[in-house]
Amino acid sequence: MEASQVGLERAAPGAAGWRRLIGAPALFAYAGAALVAGLLLAFWYAPVDASSMGFSQKIFYYHAPIAETALVAFGVAFVAGILYLRSGDLRYDRLGMVAVRLGLLFSLLVMGTGMIWGKAAWGAWWAWEPRLTTFLIACLLYAGYFVLRSMVDEESRRASYAAVLAIVAFIDVPITFFATRFLPEGLHPVVIRAGGSGMEGSMLLSFLVSMLGMTLLLVAMIRLEYAAELLKDEIDDLKTTLWEVGQ
Amino acid sequence: MTIEEAAQFVAAAYAVILVVLVVYFAMTARRVNGLRRDVELLRREAEKRERRGEGA
Repeated sequence: MEASQVGLERAAPGAAGWRRLIGAPALFAYAGAALVAGLLLAFWYAPVDASSMGFSQKIFYYHAPIAETALVAFGVAFVAGILYLRSGDLRYDRLGMVAVRLGLLFSLLVMGTGMIWGKAAWGAWWAWEPRLTTFLIACLLYAGYFVLRSMVDEESRRASYAAVLAIVAFIDVPITFFATRFLPEGLHPVVIRAGGSGMEGSMLLSFLVSMLGMTLLLVAMIRLEYAAELLKDEIDDLKTTLWEVGQ
Repeated sequence: MTIEEAAQFVAAAYAVILVVLVVYFAMTARRVNGLRRDVELLRREAEKRERRGEGA
């Protein structure tokens, strides 16, 4: 009797985790609406760029927001790493892992769209210029995060090492962001400056709406993945408990 | 570069975004379905044990 009660009581958090998991679609819907609006504005409201980039500049309206969002995801991993080292709470480890995973996904998109845009605008798929090089270094550092995780079996040690790597790797994020400002000889233009954006109003609006959409998408994805990770942990705990009380 | 040539690059870039996101969501949906199955199995197991406990 006691064993079964333990089983049912422990099943409740799993159910709550499931509810958290399926609560994410509203946020995805807002993100989708903003992204579609951003795309429509980019193609039907913002004018074709007058510079040498011409029509290929339309890639910018998703490329730049995806890049900023990737850096934000790495920022979340940085904060989660600090919080884990301070508290030892494994939920922060899960949050950090999810943030790095999504940061890498967005980085993959930045690299893909950037290479295509580079070929169109500069005539080359890749250039060893400051922004691209520092971004590639960030990608490699965060890819190493998962290599490190796979090498350590013990849970708390793995979480500690991963947290330290997420904190150290984040050093490259502001370097990537400010690379175009500190090293203006690179190919990337400075989009947001202290005195304004340097973009026409309609272009800026399209960019900001896409930026909002990508940020909402990241938040929705982090929420979904984080809830899934917590639920997976609860399921593993439940399995262990049921197995133990069944002995 | 003509606008037609540039349009091909633009289409390719947005297609990359679409494909990567579709693959990501397909993989996530599969993972979430796996979790749902696990929760259901555990719920059934707990109920089975409760019935067994009540019968004892």
